[in-house]
Amino acid sequence: MKLLTCPLNGKRNISEFTYGGEYHVMPDHRTSSARDWAEHVFFHDNVAGLVTEWWCHSASSFWFLAERNTITDEVIRTFKADEIYQQRVEFTAPETEV
Amino acid sequence: MATLDPTSVKRRSPLNQRHVTSHALFKEFGGNLLVGHYGDIKSIQEEYSQAQMLAICDLSTLPRLGFKGPGAPSWLETQKLKLPTLPNTAKCQHTGSLVAKLSDQEVLILSDIFALSNDVATLSHKAEIDHQNYDKQTYILPRGDSHCWLAVTGTQASEMFSKICGIDLRSHKFAHGDIAQTSVAKTNAVVIRNDLGSTPGFYILSDISGVEFLWDCLLDAMQEYGGCPVGVSALQRLIKSS
Amino acid sequence: MYTRLPAPYGSLINREIGVQFEFENKTVNGFEGDTIASALLANQQWLLSRSFKYHRPRGALTMAGQDANTMVQLPSNPNALADKELIKEGMQVSGQNYTGSLENDRGALLGLFSRFLPVGFYYKAFFKPRGMWEKWASLIRKKAGLGVIDQQLKSPYYDKQYKFYDVVIIGGGPAGMQAAIDAAVDNCEVLLVDENPSLGGSLNYARFDAAGTLGKLLRTELLSALQANSNITVMTNAVCNGWFADNWLPIICGNRLYKVRATQTILCTGALEQPALFHNNDLPGVVMSSAAQRLVHLYGVKPGSAAVILTGNNDGYGTALDLLDAGVAIQAIIDLRANPDYDEVAKAAIARGIKVKTGCAVYSAHSKKEVHVASVEVRNIIGQGICGNDREIINCDLLCMSVGYTPAYQLACQAGGQLSYDDQSAIFTLNNCPETLQLAGSVNSLWHIDAVLAEARRTAAIATNALGFTQVAVGEVIPKGSISPNHPWPIFAHPKGKEFVDYDEDLTIADIVNATGDGYEHIQLVKRYSTCGMGPSQGRHSALAAARIVAAATHRTVADTGVTTARPPFSAEQLGHSAGRSFYPARRSNMHYRHLEAGAEMLQAGAWFRPAYYAQDNITRQDCINAEVTNVRNNVGLVDVSTLGGLEVRGPDAGEFLNRFYTFGFVKQPVGRARYALLTNEAGVVIDDGVACRFGDNHYYVTATTGGVDRVYQNMLKWNAQWRLNVDIANVTSAYCGVNIAGPNARLILEKVCTDIDLSSAAFPYMGVRSGTVTGIPARLIRVGFVGELGYEIHVPQQYGEALWDVLIEAGNEYAIKPFGIEAQRILRLEKGHIIIGQDTDAMSNPNEVQMSWAVSKKKPFFVGGRTLSELEKKPSLRSLVGFVVNDIESPIPQESHLILDGKHMTGRVTSCNYSPTLDKAIGLAYVSPTSAANGSTIVIRSSGGVLVNATVVDLPFYDPNTARQEL
Repeated sequence: MKLLTCPLNGKRNISEFTYGGEYHVMPDHRTSSARDWAEHVFFHDNVAGLVTEWWCHSASSFWFLAERNTITDEVIRTFKADEIYQQRVEFTAPETEV
Repeated sequence: MATLDPTSVKRRSPLNQRHVTSHALFKEFGGNLLVGHYGDIKSIQEEYSQAQMLAICDLSTLPRLGFKGPGAPSWLETQKLKLPTLPNTAKCQHTGSLVAKLSDQEVLILSDIFALSNDVATLSHKAEIDHQNYDKQTYILPRGDSHCWLAVTGTQASEMFSKICGIDLRSHKFAHGDIAQTSVAKTNAVVIRNDLGSTPGFYILSDISGVEFLWDCLLDAMQEYGGCPVGVSALQRLIKSS
Repeated sequence: MYTRLPAPYGSLINREIGVQFEFENKTVNGFEGDTIASALLANQQWLLSRSFKYHRPRGALTMAGQDANTMVQLPSNPNALADKELIKEGMQVSGQNYTGSLENDRGALLGLFSRFLPVGFYYKAFFKPRGMWEKWASLIRKKAGLGVIDQQLKSPYYDKQYKFYDVVIIGGGPAGMQAAIDAAVDNCEVLLVDENPSLGGSLNYARFDAAGTLGKLLRTELLSALQANSNITVMTNAVCNGWFADNWLPIICGNRLYKVRATQTILCTGALEQPALFHNNDLPGVVMSSAAQRLVHLYGVKPGSAAVILTGNNDGYGTALDLLDAGVAIQAIIDLRANPDYDEVAKAAIARGIKVKTGCAVYSAHSKKEVHVASVEVRNIIGQGICGNDREIINCDLLCMSVGYTPAYQLACQAGGQLSYDDQSAIFTLNNCPETLQLAGSVNSLWHIDAVLAEARRTAAIATNALGFTQVAVGEVIPKGSISPNHPWPIFAHPKGKEFVDYDEDLTIADIVNATGDGYEHIQLVKRYSTCGMGPSQGRHSALAAARIVAAATHRTVADTGVTTARPPFSAEQLGHSAGRSFYPARRSNMHYRHLEAGAEMLQAGAWFRPAYYAQDNITRQDCINAEVTNVRNNVGLVDVSTLGGLEVRGPDAGEFLNRFYTFGFVKQPVGRARYALLTNEAGVVIDDGVACRFGDNHYYVTATTGGVDRVYQNMLKWNAQWRLNVDIANVTSAYCGVNIAGPNARLILEKVCTDIDLSSAAFPYMGVRSGTVTGIPARLIRVGFVGELGYEIHVPQQYGEALWDVLIEAGNEYAIKPFGIEAQRILRLEKGHIIIGQDTDAMSNPNEVQMSWAVSKKKPFFVGGRTLSELEKKPSLRSLVGFVVNDIESPIPQESHLILDGKHMTGRVTSCNYSPTLDKAIGLAYVSPTSAANGSTIVIRSSGGVLVNATVVDLPFYDPNTARQEL
């Protein structure tokens, strides 16, 4: 069984983790074309080579990211999500809820 | 020894059914009902020896509480708690409570097993006043309700754990005060190494709805090493006699 | 005749303790430490079983548990390896795969027809015309099976255990022992694993020097060094059955599977001696030369009285010396080499006056009346695999084959190692192993004992350096010797065939050649077509020969042909080993035992135990459920809802977070109110629902479905890892136990035990939420209407659950309160037209299809799934979830997944359907085409047995459309 290093809990059997899909940037939901939006929702890049993926350590519910080579299945590094997401994300349409 | 009816109080461990079947004698500690010892089977002295070798004890009715959020560690420090420096380590307080740091933003406080300290009740009360509006990034977690609290003690404990837990919990790899958030018998659990006197001890905190399953798994795993349940009196004696 | 040799022969047996067992109902005597095979051979019983296909008589081949020849039947264990399994007093052993008796097997006649049973025969002969195979299968399968399963067997206790070591060494021969000694530096925890009962490997039986003393002396020396080092753990009788990522090693010992994590692994798995191929090379009495040595040295069994040695290397001469010392006459050594390069051992054998015929081969072996080798025909070699006409018949009762070895490469290849082979020198090389895995000894094609030990020391140093325990100079790679013990072509085809490549599957040279002739040239295809290497010994003795034959037949090199993949497990393992203790976590509510006491029939929903209904004497299941429904409608019922998911969402951004996560709007939801929360994923598919209860400006308590809450919680955390809102999310599902007290009398009961909340409808209206206490138990009260009556969900801290149940039952006694289970709850909610996510929705359902567009806010800047839903709205709807009533109450009640038909076309399916005791009608939910979705449309349901049932689409809910009852 493979080992994966959780940035919070250290090296663990991969059975302690849940895979969370490929990391990619969500296009602007108001301005992107229907095609681009469909690409985002339904298609995966499935790159042969270096990919960034979401992983969750189940016992601590800790989400983080991993860089992995899909050809060799080698995990290059794992890191906390705040390395990418450094500030609050705003969605800026006016609030007109009733 | 007089025993109390476990249904005489409203807060009841899900394991009470099993305790009653095993002839448990219940005792009250700080308003909480726990198994003192299993009367018909062993004396406290025998259970004390058992606990030094390998035993399991249900502490689920004892007080405990969690705090989470970016503001939680600093607030707890203002409440005179000594927090461990590193995540996934635990520190014993002078009151006897154990403070476990699960991440930079999450702390778990466990009562001493005599239920002498009021730390959990005091903190709970104070937090409800200070954080009623949840605007200081400090959030109470009802760990006393969501998680069971089991103690596994004895020189054989880490060997027994290796049957159901994929983490190396041997003494020289997992020292007093170390914490592992991991899987025990396919159940998510927080395992805290907390020796009782000179006897190796582990606390397991795991989803309380699965505690009967986990209890049965632990009993199954410890059978080959001669392990069995003991009451809290034996554990208390481990601390007192050290 | 009894053929035990005196001590010190027989290092594994204890002559003090005799053991008696039965083989084929005859009593056999052996010693403690004997295997079934060694004890039988000591009693001259060579025939052990019959072969898989032709029922050929088979005896011991390797004496190392590596072949399928020795598979025998134990009462509760089929296919036991007779050369591995130790004898026990009173044990009952029989041969396998015969009709009649082992000695006289009627099935052996199949062998006469073997020319009509070529590879692929069954495929070609019995599969046409269509359906024929079913007729033939049982007849053929009866002939072609191995052992018999004991179906009454009660599984013994199997379990698993994790272990952790700095260095794990697989194989306890000279390389493994030396590597362990060198690796066990300060603080370095070393595990040495060997599948045999005692360490030493070939040191226990092989001839390393002319005098025959070196092996045992070296073993003693290594053993005392091992025992002196407390850092070394030794596991014998333990097999490492595979290599998995990051040195994860499954090691089986007894009934336990050890899951061992090694930081560094050193493979010292040794090499497997290979058979020579000639006519009748499978006769009992034809053995690997190492098997003869094992018999003599390990078990003190004299394997024959007159032996012929077929050799392609100098090791055969060592075997000759060993046998000679044990009193076996050596008739001749047949050396495949024309000009042998003799070593010291070979020269010593020749000096003993043994007749040696060089440049010759055993062309065929023959038996007399007994099924045992009686003579061999020796011929001169005139080309690769071709014999001349100079022939000599030599009588013998033992033929030892010593023609070469393959490295035990299985684990190394599983680790990514690539096996290569030099056709000229017949030397194997393993490359590309991971950095954390080293090879030492004969697995690495090192044969001389000095080279083996030097390489072991070197690899140990590499491992301890990598671990940081040492910083020592690592020497040069030890060069492989120029002389290989592997003869490049010990294969001699015979006009009458029966030169077995694969003993397990009864495959001969012609079978492999024919497979390539049928167009299967790739070694992997040859394997699958011919089944070569697919038997119990997994190609350990056939892979090399098959590769050589395929290479020659397709005019390629063996290196180009390659060998088949060696997947785990290395050796057969029992299902019990894989299963272990099988942990299936079960979750129970704190009220669990109260349900049992009340007669509940429990069912498991996911991990949770839940009451299906409460059984009553002399009342049918359905009547019990209907009575529970009626009691809720007319009086009051109590249901355990502890399994419901609960999530605390707290902080200044709590409302904003829910706004983004769920489809509805939550920012302006008043404190003290609950609001329905529908969850879609990014594809706009409905994946969960619940209610969001606002207990404070910055505090929502959100429920989720029992099966969905863990995923919802993980999704929430993942989204907020990106949004970084000032909010805390906690899964408190297990922290709360809950009940729903529902029915017209619910308030009357609750008022008795909950005095700090004004329960009047004005003060605490429908969809209100309150905090308070129930007889002192802290509680959250939510007025929801899942079942469509006046009702309160009461959520209390988990360990108060049982007390809460007791309090409410006692308080409800005067109103005849009754518990109800989830079966009744499903009917009640169906009557109210509430959908269950996952039952009434599927992986495509969007809110519009399930009539939930009212729960989707169109005025929010963003929510998960929002953009996709706005795209979906532009397209015509394909289906609609509607309520229906079955027209004729006498019709069979449709069930979930029954189809909606429009003529011959399927247009939808039923998702829920039940008899409603309240309405005395069969009601249900179904997906129908939008054209049949209008109120009053008739739909046709294809019910069980093809019965067509007419139903009418009606508006939801079926019951109490004005919701007057739940708002009482």
